[in-house]
Amino acid sequence: MIKFWNKRVQEGIVTESKELESELTVIKKEIQERVTKKFAGSLAIRMVDSGSCNACEAECNALSNPYYDLERLGIYFVASPRHADVMLLSGLLTFNMTPHAKDAYAQIPAPKWIITLGDCPVMQAPFEKNYAINAPVGEHFHVTHHIAGCPPNPLEIMQVFLEFIRKIS
Amino acid sequence: MRFIARYAKELEENFEVITLYDERIDKELLSKEKPITQTLSRKYPVAIWFERKMHDDFGIVFHDAFDTRPLVHQERFPQGLHPLLRAFNQVHLDASKYLPYKYEAIDGDGVFQVAVGPIHAGIIEPGHFQFSQAGEAILHLEVRHFYKNRGIEKMLEGKTLQEAKPIIERISGNETLAYQICYRDIYLQASQQELPLAIAKRNALLLELERIIHHLTDLGFIPNDAGFGAALTFASRLAEDARRKLQELTGHRFGFGAIDFKNHSIDTLSFKAWLHALQKDVLYFQEWITDIPSLWDRFDTTGILSFDEAIKYNVLGVVARASGISQDRRLNKFYIEHGFKMASETSGDVAARFKVRLQEIINSIEMMHNFLQEDTTSLSLESVKDGEYMSFVESSIGELFMTIDIKEGVIERFYVRDPSFINWQALHLMMQGNIIADFPLINKSCDLSYAGNDL
Ligand code: SF4
Repeated sequence: MIKFWNKRVQEGIVTESKELESELTVIKKEIQERVTKKFAGSLAIRMVDSGSCNACEAECNALSNPYYDLERLGIYFVASPRHADVMLLSGLLTFNMTPHAKDAYAQIPAPKWIITLGDCPVMQAPFEKNYAINAPVGEHFHVTHHIAGCPPNPLEIMQVFLEFIRKIS
Repeated sequence: MRFIARYAKELEENFEVITLYDERIDKELLSKEKPITQTLSRKYPVAIWFERKMHDDFGIVFHDAFDTRPLVHQERFPQGLHPLLRAFNQVHLDASKYLPYKYEAIDGDGVFQVAVGPIHAGIIEPGHFQFSQAGEAILHLEVRHFYKNRGIEKMLEGKTLQEAKPIIERISGNETLAYQICYRDIYLQASQQELPLAIAKRNALLLELERIIHHLTDLGFIPNDAGFGAALTFASRLAEDARRKLQELTGHRFGFGAIDFKNHSIDTLSFKAWLHALQKDVLYFQEWITDIPSLWDRFDTTGILSFDEAIKYNVLGVVARASGISQDRRLNKFYIEHGFKMASETSGDVAARFKVRLQEIINSIEMMHNFLQEDTTSLSLESVKDGEYMSFVESSIGELFMTIDIKEGVIERFYVRDPSFINWQALHLMMQGNIIADFPLINKSCDLSYAGNDL
């Protein structure tokens, strides 16, 4: 363990490349300020995968790595929909996941919002509609915001979170 | 003889059931009026999911099977529909009456059931785990999947190989390069072309980069599931760096569209520098993490899959290599010449799977050095000939098998067997003697794909 602390002290804080760093800092600052104001310091998100390829989930996980570190700004991915403000929905809303996604949404206390993640839920990914797919999600849920991309990268996800928070009154 | 896959297709008059082993292929014709055949599940337990799937897909009945419940079709799926039949062409299904699924359960005094999923606590894919518990101890686990079934096989029928490509590369996002290389090999067989060595090298480099991203992610998440978050912070930074390298090389953070029969320029100097830095970090990580006894207390002897069980269940990839099986699709001349070394552990527990991942990252870094070259070869593709084609690739999870039948220039039948489809069926064997709190740890140590499994 002593080696770990030595390395920790030697290397200090790892920072981003210059261009990304300045962009990230601006976004992070505004997210933090607005979350503090509008969501009493914490915005809780329940991520639901309704039939993705798993790359969208991987990018959400990347939001917690030291580069993006979303939790530090007050945005949390929570374990239960009952703790959530927002459902973040990825995937094609498969026939098999449809009832479970609806259940999860029903469990979120109002006021609540849905943000769709990636091109899949809006049927913009290369998949075609068939018997196993119930997307576009808009036909089944009232969607507030959408994060485009296949998959959207962590920065793009943060940008839409910010847009969302700006619009909420 | 190792069982690899069993799948069916519809011909004019018959169904054909194809069983693939490492040493031979069996083909059997069944009449469409009475499609019945004998199960293989008594000899090869993992054949059961293949057979249950064939029943859902085509209505084929397997005599003497120990399990005949639906697999892909769930509680609200309309009865009597078999979507892979040619005659089936509905693009929408209405949910029908809820018919409960009968889970495998152990009864007894004080024994109770714990249902987990399909939606889980963290950011992970949906799937269901049903435990029979005696207090904390797991008596039995049933893994139930296919929540993510997107009807991929049906979706690809009638498409040209070019049209199918963007869909195939999105079947399982964290294995996309493996899927694309499987597709590449089928394309080359169908167009009767040879792949220039320089392109093979670039593709192999990308596949190893995908592997280390996957393994690095796990090197963080496995200790995190044992309560050691510092490892996740460390390893997820390395994984992010590697993902950015993949973007630099392919223009995409996951490498969608990257296997394109062309070589693109690479800044070999900066790539080499990055590989050196990564190797230093990984070796440091290895030394650091090996020195934390409380962590190994959780890893050692947890979630054991014995050698005999691993053989019996024909498991693949990291899981197989951690249980003493020397099996890897990279065991060939091309890879060995570029420095491939088979990772191997024998204890079959979480610790072994963790160590196999570490060994593989170090070996992949070495191989990437050897694959790296400045080159801009490209291959112009010829048109494809009709036929039945198969290919195999060692993905970051294990052996990936893909087969495509082309008729009149378009896909007649597409089937892919993700290594997860086999390994999921062995997960319950790792539970015996473990407590339920260790389930996430054991599951993560295998890190299987749900999307690739469910199709
Ligand atoms: S939007 Fe793209 S990356 Fe996201 S789940 Fe769909 S196919 Fe995968």
